[in-house]
Amino acid sequence: MASLAYPEGRRPNIPSANVQLPAVRDYEQVDNEITATLRPTGPWFAGLALAVVCMLIGAAAWTYQIYWGLGQAGYTPPVMWGVYIITFVFWVGIGHAGTLISAILYLFRAGFRTSIYRCAEAMTVFAIMTAGLFPIIHIGRPWKFYWLIPYPNWRLIWPQFKSPLVWDVFAISTYLTVSATFFFIGLIPDIAVLRDRETNPVRKRILAFLSLGWRNSEREWRHFARAYLFLAAFSTPLVLSVHSVVSLDFASAIVPGWHTTVFPPYFVAGAIYSGIGMVFTIIIPIRKWFKLEHYITLNHLDAAAKMCLFTSMVVGLAYLSEFWVAWYSGNQYEQRYFWNRVFGEWWWSAWILLLCNMVLPLSLYSQRLRRNTTWLFILSLFINLGMWYERFVIVVPSLSHEYEPWQWTFYMPSWVDVSLLVGSFGWFFMWFLLFVKQLPVLAVAEIKEIVPPKMRAYGGVGHHVAAEAHAPALQGGHD
Amino acid sequence: MAGILASYRELDSTVHAIEELKKQNFRDIDVYSPVPRHELEHAVNPPISPVRVFTLIGGLLGATFGYWIAIWTSDYWPLVVGGKAIASWIPYTIIGFELFVLIGSLATVAGMFVHSRLPKLTMTVGYDPRFSHADYGVFVRCPPERAAAAEAVLRQQNPLEVRSER
Amino acid sequence: MSTDPGSAGVKRRDFLKVLGATTAAGAAVGCTSDRVEKLIPYLVSPDNTTPGVSNYYATVCRECAAGCGVIAEVRDGRAIKLEGNPEHPLSRGALCAKGQSALQGLYNPDRYRGPMVRQGNGLVPTTWENALQLLGAQLARARSGGAAANAAFINQAESGSFPAFLDQWLAAFGMPAHIAYDADATHAAMEANRQTYGVAWPRLDFTAARLIVSIGADFLETWGASVPQQLSFADARAKLADAPRLVYIGARRSLTGLNADEWIAVRPGSELAIANALRDAVGGNMGTLDQAAEAAGADAAQLRRLAAELAAARPAVVLAGTTGADATDVALAANAINAATGAVGTAVLPAEPIASFERTAAYADIRALVARMNAGSVPLLFVRGANPAFTTPASLGFAQAMAKVPYKVSFSSYPDETTELCDLVLPDHHALESWGDSQPLPGVVGYQQPVMAPVFNTRATADVLLGVASTDEQARGRFGGATNYREWIAARAGGPRALADALVTGVADGTVLQGPAPTRAAPVPPSTPIQQTEGDYYLVVYPSPLLGTGAGGNKPWLQELADPVTKISWQSWVEIHPLTARELGVQAGDHLTVRTPTGSITAPAYPYLGVRRDTVAIALGRGHTAYGRYAKGVGVNPLVLLASAEDARSGALALASTKAQVTKAAEHSPLVTTEGSARQHGRGIAQAMLPAELDAGPVEHGEGHDIPGMPPLEFGPGLRSPVAADAQGVYADSGSKDKGMYDPEHWSGMAKRRWAMTIDLARCTGCSACVVACYAENNLPTVGAPWQGRATSPVTWDERPGANILKGREMTWIRLERYFEGGEDGSSDFETRFVPMLCQHCGNAPCEPVCPVYATYHSPDGLNVQVYNRCVGTRYCSNNCPYKVRYFNWFGYGEPDRRQYAWPEPLNWQLNPDVTVRGKGVMEKCTFCVQRIREAEHRARLEGRAVRADEFTTACAQACPSRAITFGDAADASWSVAQLAVDRRAYHVFEELNTYTAVVYLKKVIHPAPAAPAQA
Repeated sequence: MASLAYPEGRRPNIPSANVQLPAVRDYEQVDNEITATLRPTGPWFAGLALAVVCMLIGAAAWTYQIYWGLGQAGYTPPVMWGVYIITFVFWVGIGHAGTLISAILYLFRAGFRTSIYRCAEAMTVFAIMTAGLFPIIHIGRPWKFYWLIPYPNWRLIWPQFKSPLVWDVFAISTYLTVSATFFFIGLIPDIAVLRDRETNPVRKRILAFLSLGWRNSEREWRHFARAYLFLAAFSTPLVLSVHSVVSLDFASAIVPGWHTTVFPPYFVAGAIYSGIGMVFTIIIPIRKWFKLEHYITLNHLDAAAKMCLFTSMVVGLAYLSEFWVAWYSGNQYEQRYFWNRVFGEWWWSAWILLLCNMVLPLSLYSQRLRRNTTWLFILSLFINLGMWYERFVIVVPSLSHEYEPWQWTFYMPSWVDVSLLVGSFGWFFMWFLLFVKQLPVLAVAEIKEIVPPKMRAYGGVGHHVAAEAHAPALQGGHD
Repeated sequence: MAGILASYRELDSTVHAIEELKKQNFRDIDVYSPVPRHELEHAVNPPISPVRVFTLIGGLLGATFGYWIAIWTSDYWPLVVGGKAIASWIPYTIIGFELFVLIGSLATVAGMFVHSRLPKLTMTVGYDPRFSHADYGVFVRCPPERAAAAEAVLRQQNPLEVRSER
Repeated sequence: MSTDPGSAGVKRRDFLKVLGATTAAGAAVGCTSDRVEKLIPYLVSPDNTTPGVSNYYATVCRECAAGCGVIAEVRDGRAIKLEGNPEHPLSRGALCAKGQSALQGLYNPDRYRGPMVRQGNGLVPTTWENALQLLGAQLARARSGGAAANAAFINQAESGSFPAFLDQWLAAFGMPAHIAYDADATHAAMEANRQTYGVAWPRLDFTAARLIVSIGADFLETWGASVPQQLSFADARAKLADAPRLVYIGARRSLTGLNADEWIAVRPGSELAIANALRDAVGGNMGTLDQAAEAAGADAAQLRRLAAELAAARPAVVLAGTTGADATDVALAANAINAATGAVGTAVLPAEPIASFERTAAYADIRALVARMNAGSVPLLFVRGANPAFTTPASLGFAQAMAKVPYKVSFSSYPDETTELCDLVLPDHHALESWGDSQPLPGVVGYQQPVMAPVFNTRATADVLLGVASTDEQARGRFGGATNYREWIAARAGGPRALADALVTGVADGTVLQGPAPTRAAPVPPSTPIQQTEGDYYLVVYPSPLLGTGAGGNKPWLQELADPVTKISWQSWVEIHPLTARELGVQAGDHLTVRTPTGSITAPAYPYLGVRRDTVAIALGRGHTAYGRYAKGVGVNPLVLLASAEDARSGALALASTKAQVTKAAEHSPLVTTEGSARQHGRGIAQAMLPAELDAGPVEHGEGHDIPGMPPLEFGPGLRSPVAADAQGVYADSGSKDKGMYDPEHWSGMAKRRWAMTIDLARCTGCSACVVACYAENNLPTVGAPWQGRATSPVTWDERPGANILKGREMTWIRLERYFEGGEDGSSDFETRFVPMLCQHCGNAPCEPVCPVYATYHSPDGLNVQVYNRCVGTRYCSNNCPYKVRYFNWFGYGEPDRRQYAWPEPLNWQLNPDVTVRGKGVMEKCTFCVQRIREAEHRARLEGRAVRADEFTTACAQACPSRAITFGDAADASWSVAQLAVDRRAYHVFEELNTYTAVVYLKKVIHPAPAAPAQA
């Protein structure tokens, strides 16, 4: 509508904090349109089937590996960590965008968060569920993984709390618990909405149970808002800490290429960057297939793309500073490694990551591309690829060219590694696809909040405050 | 306890209804709305939510426990690793922090549940599914002799419906 | 807590704590086997056996002709370890890799279970009665036919009375003396020595020499008796500044060549010219040098300088071990030089010859025998301990000739190529199961005794012979009525009592029974000298230092152990100069086809600086077509390339007798190597110094390392790490009343100790005996067998030999790193440094803090402990180890039902019960032989004393034939390691990482040529 007023490409820059939903008129519309998305469709079943198949491939490969031993993976000592740790870090990173959007942007009152945070949060929970599997897949005796958890036992043998891996156990499990809680708390009112719309008695019972008997009373809303605020306040440092802790797995080792203080901020930025990439990968098809363009407007994507651009530049800076430090330190081991990183056996992986994470995102300087869903989707795939290779470049070349030249070696993943990588995507998307058809992909209550309420004093149309809130959106609009 | 339930389409009528009821000394009021609105909160004017106390206590307990478990266990089997101190508090800060966040968040949720009386196993009297949809509701608990008065007040603000629940 | 010293009782609490610290030995062996009855082999044990306590028996090693003395550790009736016999005059307690692997010959899963007899195309089991009956019948047939005089008996060349005993028996049946065949022997040198000194092998004393020149004499590996020579050479090198230079002359740099300070790369076939020229030069006539250098394609100036050195240095030893058609002449020239430089009597000692080689027959004898076999005149052939069908050139046609022999009897215990062609197999006992004697030096007899009951239904050949003789009226009574060889030996030793006494040390005065030296066949030299053979590259074929000419092939330790020079295992390779390889467009691993008139082979190329650009070199020992699962089908046998040509004087097979066509083949197979980068990249792992620097006063370590406000960065006394929280006591008192073994008053004295090791790179020759010792002591699995690989798809497996090693998964707790210095331009002027690399037991170990479950931590006595039972396999410790000495169990190597099982029955009988077999998915590494430490501590405890200085040592240190490794308590000055650790040459690898390692390396001392530029 407003797009008629401004020819394509000459739109004013919409402040991210002030993204509105002009095409959403009243509460009824929200309820109806969002509950409409829950009807299962043929393509959805197909996608779910594909995801399950991939997951089963991974499960079979894992069983095989547990039986024979880790020798079936591609490990080539001294490259003792490989695809599994890479994929672990990859999925943990993916998770971060969700909490960032739902918690940090909530505290910063960034309006564009409202339409996308539910998807992002779900993505977080499922990504952590995926990541959490990989340390177990990775270890030599997976049936003993619980030894990393401090549980009371009669000999009082405990984990070694100086080990970064134990820090991981705490960070990841805390992160999973808190983000899942945060996710669920936010869902309660929306489940109540579904409950009250539901006609099927069985589903109604289940939803009633999940909604914990929520009844939209002012008292509930009051405590709800408080709790939500504090959870956001907790999640904010948490999201920053988790990937910092993961980065310590590397930074606190003395391996050349790992032993550097830039890792925590660098990993956090990378995580958010990769997470936003995955958000695009998920959101863009959803808004199209679920017909939600007027909820997730181009302004939302535009704002998210800016965040993506920013984090990509942070990551790029980190890459460059790593090379600088390696050169400036005069440490021959570091220098050798970083030379090997870009010109050694794996030169291509290093260049892939530099291209995907430093060069391509620069295209987001163009507003036209920021608002081009096709390009955003393609770019998001490159971002996922690049961020997987970032972890590959950190893990593999470092270990393969360590202090001891006699033990320098080459590494190539085996079919088992690849199957488990595929399986992890299957596992993740299986959960996500189940989610999108059982629960609202948009936060119903929060979207209603930015829809102007009915006022008798103004003949039922939104009253003036809301009308002002409308104003910029009238210029921004959507397609 | 029995009472009168009125539902409104508009926010301002709901607000006025609440204000009127308070003028007339109807204290036991439940207000329902599809979304939290400050207008309603001001009208009801409740005390500030005490959830934050849970948050504080939970957080402090978590941090303390985190440090304690790490230090006590290392000291129980004093095995030297890498020539580092048996109980080295710097890395243990991570454990402390993570448990601070974990216990803190869970305590917050607990606080919310306690104070908003969740989970509820039954739909108690005075609720209507439309409140989660688009309409506002006001439920006044009052003895039968005052029911008429309450209903009168509620009807002034053109409700969609007024009914007495029991 | 403490229990009163002197009381033998160990309280339960102490016991648990000991268990806690001896975690490496903390689990029972045999957990992987449900066959409980195998745990202790017998219900009623002999009187001298206590379950769980080792017995030690002195005996003789028969893996090569030298016959070193060994001591077998026997636990519960099973030999589990071989170590050198300190009382023995030759080996002085050392033992080489081959010798230690004898155990895997004893327990070889492919040994014959009992006698076999031919039935159609195959050999089928039979009974001893039946087998002996057949043997008797054949003997009778031969004798009645009058053809007995044409029968032949090929026996391994061995030291002792048995050869003469055998000849007596043969004579009794009218058969000629046996052929004492040793395919690995260096006949040319022996022949020359016989002519010069009248003995086959004078003992060598390198410590007396000022200069050593080796003309292709690989005295550290296959030339003569390697262990005593290596001991002497290491002692000579240990003289540091006064040590003799070693100059190596040859077309290929062998292990001996790599230990040389200088290499003069000469063409094969030109050594005689060089040797003669040097002889003339020492005699004062420098004239022929340039001409010789011209012929050899060597630098005349270099040669002239060497000649000058040779003339000046007295005594200077020249050793010749060439394998050409003129080998004996070269050796004679060398002997002449030795006489001129006064080496004879000082460094070369004809007065005390190593007696083992006197009777050795040459290749010519086999060739003559084959001629007779082809003529159909040999009615009966016996083979024992030799495998001529494999160790002679295919062109000789030994196998085909065997077909023309009516009846062939083998005494071999293994299904080797020769035995598979025989009609009757009477499997002999392994040397460790049988009686015997040997003569290391004149006047000294080493006695051989069975160390355990026979593994299989085999029978000592000597007993078989006696048995046959006792049933034969003509032979009966020849052997003093001895009914078995033990009695016969006892009689020679002066009665059972005397024998029993002698067996305490294993050596006694006396001499063995000597037989008349047999007549030798006349040699047939090659028709064309090597220079005239067609082909573009000289071909050098040499016996492998580990596999010899093939005898070692069925022992997984020797297959797995990386070749000391090329670091390749489970594979054959063609050594080619890097520049030549570049010309041919050949990368490492590309296959090369080597073709001669007699045949051709194809093997992957190994670009090696140590061969001349006009030469390719191939090792013998692989390419078996039989000989059991570990040998069969692994690698190729270069003997197919050789014509049956002999050294003109000694009749030795001329290994360097032809050129070859070398072409690039299509295939490529990655090298099964443990080598990453052969260059140090300036990281100071293997350090060296010049003699001049030795007397530059003590080094002040790390001047100005210290940082104000920080603990000092220098070692405390006794190699103690200075960091405040170091394990050795500081943090012992962590508030707990019971400090366990951190208690300074604990009986084990752990908190007072710091176990440490010094490795003297001046002594180390890179022979890798320590690696095999570690395999034996610590139950390391071999992982390179073709069936031990991983799946390459859900249905296919990687079945290349060494598949796991291609993935870098070898399990060598101690490995020999071989770094090159110089020669980047492909020149022959490069230096080699060997570094045994094992867990450094860092005072501040990077591996420890990263383990999430305390599976690795620091014990109070300074050990970096690995708790297998606790390990979950995160492998973080390995990532964080700068030395990369941690090894992971990728497969269930210890699980009998898996294809990766490393000890198929009965190889598992060798497993050391003191060390657990690690399970799938756990990390393992060098433990400093913690089981030996604890054993010594407990023994001392039981005897109510403290552990004595140098009372025990680790397996690697015990075996080392260079005496390069010293182990002990650095915190106690009375241990020798404590002095060595502060030596002028001491350094720590990657010192800058502040890991405070417990392993101290002593810099190698290099001796550059007088005029040559020093590169240290």
